[in-house]
Amino acid sequence: MDHKSKGNGYDVETDQIVVNLGPQHPSTHGVFRMVVTLEGETIVDLKPVMGYLHRNHEQIAERNTYLMNMPFTDRLDYICSMSNNFAYALAVEKLMDIAVPERAEYIRVMMAELTRIVNHIWAIGFLLNDLGAFFTPALYAINERELVLDVFEAVSGSRMMCNYFRFGGLARDLPEGVIEIVTELVHERLPRKVDELETYLTDNEIVRVRGEGVGVLTAEDAVAYSAGGPVLRASGVPYDVRKADPYSIYDRFDFDVAVRYNGDVYDRYRIRIDEIRESLKILEQVLRDIPDGEIQTGKPQYQVRVPEGEAYGRVENPKGELGFYVVSNGKPNPWRYHVRAPSFINLTALGIMSKRQKIADAVAVLGSIDIVLGETDR
Amino acid sequence: MKEKVEKSMYGLGMVKGLGVTLRHFIETYIDDIRWLSRGRYYNDAAIRERQGPNARGVFTVQYPEEKLPIPEEFRYIPILIYDELEDGTHQDRCTSCGICAKVCPPQCIWIVRSTNPTTGRPIPEPTEFFIDIDICMNCGLCAEFCPFDAIKMDHDYEIASYNRDKAHIFNKERLSKPATYYAEIRPINSAKEEAVRLEKEAAKAQKAAQKKES
Repeated sequence: MDHKSKGNGYDVETDQIVVNLGPQHPSTHGVFRMVVTLEGETIVDLKPVMGYLHRNHEQIAERNTYLMNMPFTDRLDYICSMSNNFAYALAVEKLMDIAVPERAEYIRVMMAELTRIVNHIWAIGFLLNDLGAFFTPALYAINERELVLDVFEAVSGSRMMCNYFRFGGLARDLPEGVIEIVTELVHERLPRKVDELETYLTDNEIVRVRGEGVGVLTAEDAVAYSAGGPVLRASGVPYDVRKADPYSIYDRFDFDVAVRYNGDVYDRYRIRIDEIRESLKILEQVLRDIPDGEIQTGKPQYQVRVPEGEAYGRVENPKGELGFYVVSNGKPNPWRYHVRAPSFINLTALGIMSKRQKIADAVAVLGSIDIVLGETDR
Repeated sequence: MKEKVEKSMYGLGMVKGLGVTLRHFIETYIDDIRWLSRGRYYNDAAIRERQGPNARGVFTVQYPEEKLPIPEEFRYIPILIYDELEDGTHQDRCTSCGICAKVCPPQCIWIVRSTNPTTGRPIPEPTEFFIDIDICMNCGLCAEFCPFDAIKMDHDYEIASYNRDKAHIFNKERLSKPATYYAEIRPINSAKEEAVRLEKEAAKAQKAAQKKES
């Protein structure tokens, strides 16, 4: 490395220094390290270092039978366990070539969209935390998350590690009273919360100064890094798996793909608000149309028979495209199992986003990507 | 873009945001006044209101004194169910078939099968049944796939202990709970299962009767 360079444009000779942010650092959302090369306060280079939370997920999954992996997928992106289940169930159902009953499909979409709302509310709250608004916005935001988690608990038995999806359906039907609570949430409580968050934050001068023009990711770069989810769509690429490759019953619902064009931290905040509104739209339609009936095709089996072959199941997880690639050789356990984790792939774009930014902004950029280390490191 | 930001920097957005904070602050007091006569803490009605979709003000629960209502499906570590027979003896529902141990994702269940000491034949009940609570991930698959409704998920989540080695490997004695306890924590599920069992028994009896006739 250049010992003395004129990097910051002011013709002041400075030394470059290397700072390790993390692995134990409050702003890294877990055990994650950023190796930052600095000139003064300006970032010259940033390398994300991952792997501190590696726990051999894929190898364990190849040892496990197909059903056993379901609770393990909860523990990838532990904020959105329902939609992790969804993607894995889709992959194995593709291999087994079984259909899912109508009611189960509706419940699946309902859970996935509630998960999206929970995740985005959480992401906004913690982005503000990273901007320095210590926990007040975060706690206002996660009030409503608590109510949605109560729904998950009533439905699946656990607030975060849901383990609710099964191949060809669901573990159990909705208990009594859940539909009423969800209706109340979707029609009253959650829209009110989104409006409140908007008045609270969207016009706030500090949020705008810290966000606008910070950590810009151009559309070309976003595509080149194969970023997904809000990070991609905030850069002006309207790509959403729910529209591009409709899975489950998403082709029946009327909703728009939210898109923003500046690709900065502020837009990545705004797009999450937009997406919550779209999710609420989908949920309204789900609640209107949900039919009665079975929730499982065939008898629930503890060891499913999966024919030889390979399948890739993908969903639009709140954080981006989540894919499970499963190869079967007819044995009770998968021969190969791979996870395409959205946080991991979005995180690789952190370096390019943070270049020429101030060091304090790198924290905000990281917060705006919205990573979960459980999924990044697997 | 930088200019646009500076143009609108009069702090109005921040004032608006502070209004939200102020509303939250006042709301907690309004809520206190609303609940003044009934008591906002330490009663079930208040907790249900505070945790329901119409909750306002403070969401928090005063934990050891107040506890959150647990939904029926809530799952914590597994328990073994036994039936209390009329003569006072306990009959394990478990037949030590081992499906729970097979389906357990972290493989934390360990069963010792029984054999009749004189004939050496297996008896359909376990001599010992161990679950390593430190490894159990509370996924509930064992309870879901038990064909005899013998293993179920508990509701008791207060199992902290000062000992961290042997105390966390629960044996059959520690895991066993009567069927009445199960009916108490999961009334809807147990009633459903009971109905199915009675139906099966009735069908069996009918078949036996038919056999006798012919």
